[in-house]
Amino acid sequence: MSDLVALVILFLIITFVGGAGRYDENRLKSLSVAWVIFLLVTFPTLSTEWARMTSELVDDEDDPHFGLPDIWEDKQVVCFNFPQGSAPEGYEGGRHHIDSDGTKFFTDSNWNGSGACVGGFSGFEIGIKLLDEAVFVSGGDFTYNSTQFSFGLQIDSIGGIAPCDAAACPEDFSSGAYWGLYHNGQMSLVGISDLPLEDDSVITWTIETW
Amino acid sequence: MLDAHAVTLSPIETFILNVSLLAIIGWSMWKAEKSLSPGSDAMILALLGAFAVSGRVLLDPLPNVQPVTVIILLAGIHYGAARSTVLATSVALVSNIFLGHGIWTLYQAAAWSLVGISGSLLSKSLYFSGSLAISRVAAFSVAAAFLFDWVVSLSALHSFGIDMLPVYIISGIPFDILHATGNVFFVAWLSTPLSEVMSRHNSRRTVVRETVALRS
Repeated sequence: MSDLVALVILFLIITFVGGAGRYDENRLKSLSVAWVIFLLVTFPTLSTEWARMTSELVDDEDDPHFGLPDIWEDKQVVCFNFPQGSAPEGYEGGRHHIDSDGTKFFTDSNWNGSGACVGGFSGFEIGIKLLDEAVFVSGGDFTYNSTQFSFGLQIDSIGGIAPCDAAACPEDFSSGAYWGLYHNGQMSLVGISDLPLEDDSVITWTIETW
Repeated sequence: MLDAHAVTLSPIETFILNVSLLAIIGWSMWKAEKSLSPGSDAMILALLGAFAVSGRVLLDPLPNVQPVTVIILLAGIHYGAARSTVLATSVALVSNIFLGHGIWTLYQAAAWSLVGISGSLLSKSLYFSGSLAISRVAAFSVAAAFLFDWVVSLSALHSFGIDMLPVYIISGIPFDILHATGNVFFVAWLSTPLSEVMSRHNSRRTVVRETVALRS
């Protein structure tokens, strides 16, 4: 929050210094260059601080730890949900659970779906760091491919499963599928690379269709 | 591979490459325009469309900084609602072939069309005495950034309920601010030359001017 205030003050100083005096087109040109450079350089901080503030606007309707092992209470968890028949090899038949040291310790065969949760983590502040650690401790079974866009990282496949492998994606774009990101049960409003975490965050990847 | 495909560029190098390509396209467009006969509206719209698409695709590494909104706003001011809508929809569709096409293309096309239509409706306030009111256009381009982004945000209703929409819009405000700032940048640097080009090739204004001349 203090970073955000500092950025706003700096922005106002640039505007005041650059824009003081009579308006003319050349002044607008130089000021606009300063604004754009300033915002682009500070954008990672700006967007992260803003995401931290706005994440408090989303109410958690249910306990995101519901159904997860008790030992993960107050810990960070990453879940990968796959439609039946589309999970990577070894992760069919319910939800598998992998602890933060790589131990596979429990399979919930009554769970409606297939996939795994990797949990028991703490201290991660940004979603992508937690995701990378979960991929690492699971032995690379959930290695992902991604594309870097200006608005953040887009996950193209997880564990070799692309969304269109599990759902219909006609060439006319009348429908399609994507890896949806949920944070504590709510669809994330920011990408995984910008997602600020809480001490007990549960992030979930699920194939969604449109 | 032993050819140029094996060369990997850093993000900064890629950005410099993209800006250089955009500069070449802009300069070539500037030169091409000089050889056109006055009133070549359709050709200018095509050139503007090519520049807008190139600008959006090549500046994609910069979050939400692109020249499309300003170009469509200027097209609305000079060419009216119908032709700016054609431009808006074409640019949204063609650029999304490169950036990713889906249902959001419809919202982007609608949002940019709204920007063009608004520019057309306000053209008498934004362009008078034969020149553009730069400060007003800059102010309107800030509003246009928020208008565009919030209309496109409506596409999120396909993924979640309307109760989440305000939160979704609020969370995107840093991107809106970058869009608005980028628009001011493009207004400051591009609006005067582009406006001169559009004025030279505007059959609607030419007809009006000729009619006025005949009457006087």
